[in-house]
Amino acid sequence: MSQVFHDIEKKILETLQKVSNQTPEQLSKNTELSIDQIRRGIEWLRLKEFAIVNESEKITFSLGPNGLDSLKNGLPERKLINMLKDEPKTFEQIRSALSGAGFNVAIANAKKNGWIKIEKNNFNSLVSIKEKPIETPEEKLLSFIGEKTVSREEITNPLAMKILLSRPNYIIQNSQKSKTISLTDAALSLDTTVSSSGAIDVEADVPSIFAARTHPLQDTIDEIREIFVNLGFSEIIGNMTQSSFWNFDALFTPQDHPARELQDTFYLEDIESKNPATSSQIKNVSSSHNKNWKYDWKLSESQKMVLRTHTTCVTIKHLAEQKPENARIFSLGRVFRNEKVSYKHLVEFNQIEGIVIGNNTTLRDLMGIQKEFYRKLGLTKIKFWPTFFPYTEPSLQTMVYNEKLGKWIELFGMGIFRPEVTKPLGIDKPVLAWGGGIERIAMLKYELDDVREFYNNNLSWLRSV
Amino acid sequence: MPVVELNINRIKKLVSGNATRKQILDVLPFLGLDIESEDGDEIRIEYSPNRPDYSTDYGIATGLQGLLGIKKGIQKIPIKKIEQFAIKVDSSVTKIRPYVTGIIATNGKLDDLSIKQLMNMQEDLHYGIGRKRKKSSIGLHDADKISFPLTYTTMPREHKFVPLNSNVEQTIDEILTNTEVGQNYGWVIENAKNVPIILDSEQNTISFPPIINSALTIVTPNTKNILIEVTGIDKESAEDMLSVVVSILQTAGFEFNELKITGNKNSTPQLKDRTIMYDPKFTSEILGIDLTPSVSVTCLKKCRLDASVKGKKITCTIPRYRFDIFGPMDLVEEIALGYGIANIKPKLSPSTTIGQKNNVTIKTELITKTAVGLGFLEVMNSSLTSKKILYEMTKRNLSEIISVLDSKSREHTILRDSLLPSLLENLSKNIHESYPQKLFETGVVFSKGKPIGESINFAVVIAYKDTNYSEIKAIMQSLLQTNFKISSQTKTSKNQELFASGRHADIFVDEKKIGEIGEIDSAILENFRIRTSVVGFEIKLSGLIFD
Repeated sequence: MSQVFHDIEKKILETLQKVSNQTPEQLSKNTELSIDQIRRGIEWLRLKEFAIVNESEKITFSLGPNGLDSLKNGLPERKLINMLKDEPKTFEQIRSALSGAGFNVAIANAKKNGWIKIEKNNFNSLVSIKEKPIETPEEKLLSFIGEKTVSREEITNPLAMKILLSRPNYIIQNSQKSKTISLTDAALSLDTTVSSSGAIDVEADVPSIFAARTHPLQDTIDEIREIFVNLGFSEIIGNMTQSSFWNFDALFTPQDHPARELQDTFYLEDIESKNPATSSQIKNVSSSHNKNWKYDWKLSESQKMVLRTHTTCVTIKHLAEQKPENARIFSLGRVFRNEKVSYKHLVEFNQIEGIVIGNNTTLRDLMGIQKEFYRKLGLTKIKFWPTFFPYTEPSLQTMVYNEKLGKWIELFGMGIFRPEVTKPLGIDKPVLAWGGGIERIAMLKYELDDVREFYNNNLSWLRSV
Repeated sequence: MPVVELNINRIKKLVSGNATRKQILDVLPFLGLDIESEDGDEIRIEYSPNRPDYSTDYGIATGLQGLLGIKKGIQKIPIKKIEQFAIKVDSSVTKIRPYVTGIIATNGKLDDLSIKQLMNMQEDLHYGIGRKRKKSSIGLHDADKISFPLTYTTMPREHKFVPLNSNVEQTIDEILTNTEVGQNYGWVIENAKNVPIILDSEQNTISFPPIINSALTIVTPNTKNILIEVTGIDKESAEDMLSVVVSILQTAGFEFNELKITGNKNSTPQLKDRTIMYDPKFTSEILGIDLTPSVSVTCLKKCRLDASVKGKKITCTIPRYRFDIFGPMDLVEEIALGYGIANIKPKLSPSTTIGQKNNVTIKTELITKTAVGLGFLEVMNSSLTSKKILYEMTKRNLSEIISVLDSKSREHTILRDSLLPSLLENLSKNIHESYPQKLFETGVVFSKGKPIGESINFAVVIAYKDTNYSEIKAIMQSLLQTNFKISSQTKTSKNQELFASGRHADIFVDEKKIGEIGEIDSAILENFRIRTSVVGFEIKLSGLIFD
């Protein structure tokens, strides 16, 4: 079987065939590969059973400060014996000659060696030599080590070493772990020049590439559109620029209502819609306003062009024009608010709105559609709260429980168009309406807390989300 | 939505009964009130502008009593005529602010918090139903500081008095220039030579509506009797406003004495209840629930209305301050609230219609698929963008510019007439990301004409050092060929600032120009700080793959 080797493997094999037992550092130097490449190569060769990794530990000894002192001046017990050579000495005399801890150590060891005897009289203890002190194994070891570093293997008296190691700062012990690599017999005889090359480093990092994709917000829009279609709703598309008539007047928003002011709504500069609606629509809407809101409705106000503030203007216009008997329709698209842009507000965002006319148009049916809509989005914990919209009555909002945030979040609104909205436009049946902003749902889906991210078109986000 | 701050203990006291904190917090949303935040006993509530009576804790407590079943039906407001309080209207007000209405609230007591709430309520009423004080505005005064009868008249701009929060006399003009309210609401009286003024019998100025009250009549915790005056350009809306304040002050423990109003088409307010006949069939038709008339009556009463069964119908009595109720549809909502929204169960009826995407959507999805298949990433930009990006940085012709008025954001002032400028802006913001960058966008662009033309465009850009005209032309051809089998031609076109000269063309399909294609000019790229080559095209999809 012909072996396939990566270039790294080949270089390591060739080097080791010349000189066995090399450390990774030596291999790196000899092959001019990086230490990381060597480590990987060794690992691959080991797995293929071509390399053996020998791990060893080398222990060495040298003298510490106390050891070096004793080499020169003798161990404390030897110092004591030298003091007693001429005459016995009292504890007091010895203590003053052998400073600090040396005294206790010297007495204890000399006694253990059987070198001294201690006589106690009334006033003092007198120490004298008992036996001729011969050179101890520890002393022999000290002079053997001397100022050298010796390996564990060179030590002939391990007991003496153990004793010296137990005495503080006599011996310094060093341990060094090392790894050498050698080849197995099979590898030694491999002819790397005939083995085919071309294997690659399958573990190395590669450059990132990014999938082309649709925008995450567009994905959410498409998902929601799909659910509406599945619920039996058909899509209609209308203009983003609308006359105030369809954006406000037809929806029973009085002309002096604060929502219609410049500071909330974008009006187009110097552009008006001469004939925003049919003359009978204008007449009926105008009289509904005059009667119910008790003010003087003006055509000129309704001719002003705005950027639609909701998609409801598209659905209501469709109803007024088509007067369907039985229909489920929806409109989806950008809507605009003159707001300061912030993490939770955009001047332009997407809204969807569906309406139902015909059969099964009670509030319970509307709630049922909502429940099914959220179920299809995977949201099952929902409840309804009353709310206020100028053009529906009754009006509800859906509250959806978000497990991650641990709280109830307001999502779509819904209601039944007020008769003050439908009657003037010649719509006799109740019309259910429901909808809301899409970015809010997309934010939950992508776990964003700044809605601006959708329109930043930051490639690092779009490519990674 | 306006916000009111409540103290839960105060609410509990006002609601009386044995309502617990939890019961109150649970019921608030079912009155249509959103709890915005909760901080210990202090809670912030958002209320709908159609219910100004919820602008104080008194109004909210009245609503809570109903839903909790502690007190039901209308709170009767007896108006006494014990003392003679009167206001005469001078004809000079006709042109500027013709109507005044009012009442005297007596024997009450207000603490600091109540006064603060009443002031906030006043501001909310001014903003909402008062239409920033233009339609109607309100003034509360310590009635004991006033010598009746009053006169509602006009005075020249040299007229002087000590306004609220001041201790020196100021002329009308000084007040309009020096005070914050003067600056904010001076526009209401425009340049009138004579302005509305309420004087008492000793010629003391009481109020300068709709701007400011006088310091003389300031309401403090020592005030026992209050004069409420409302002036406006519409009699009924002035009485609407008055009725809200009366209902709130009644809950606060005040009694009422009539203020006789005469002169110049003005009259004493009656604040009468009205009745609406309600057909109980609406309940099942609209809500989808079957309730006996007597249950409906109970529901209405829980919403602090009065009702009784009369034959097959229900007579419903609406207190004056519930002017948000227009007709039977509003009563359906009241019944739903009284019944409890939580008790109405959703019902899923099978759809009798088959849903369908719009053709525009279907076709746009197709071209999007091809673009993604060709390795392009979709971006989404605002339709409302800036002059800088649309025209200045791209040196495009701005004769057809469509602007919006008074945008709060400088980046959003012009409706786009092209997608390419924003795509260049996207590349500009991503110069630190890896190349190649290939982007596309589908979006609406705007043009002038009857009154605004809207069409859907599609644009593509490619940015990296080796890109060129051939690459983008190949992409463009493929996008139109795939699924749509549209063959396109590129024809040399006259120079344009956006593209490098000699390296751009007009795109034609069946002799009709549908867009432009080319290498972006280096000077434009420099404006966007893009340091690589960029090519792109933009075509109009409307009229090409859908109508």
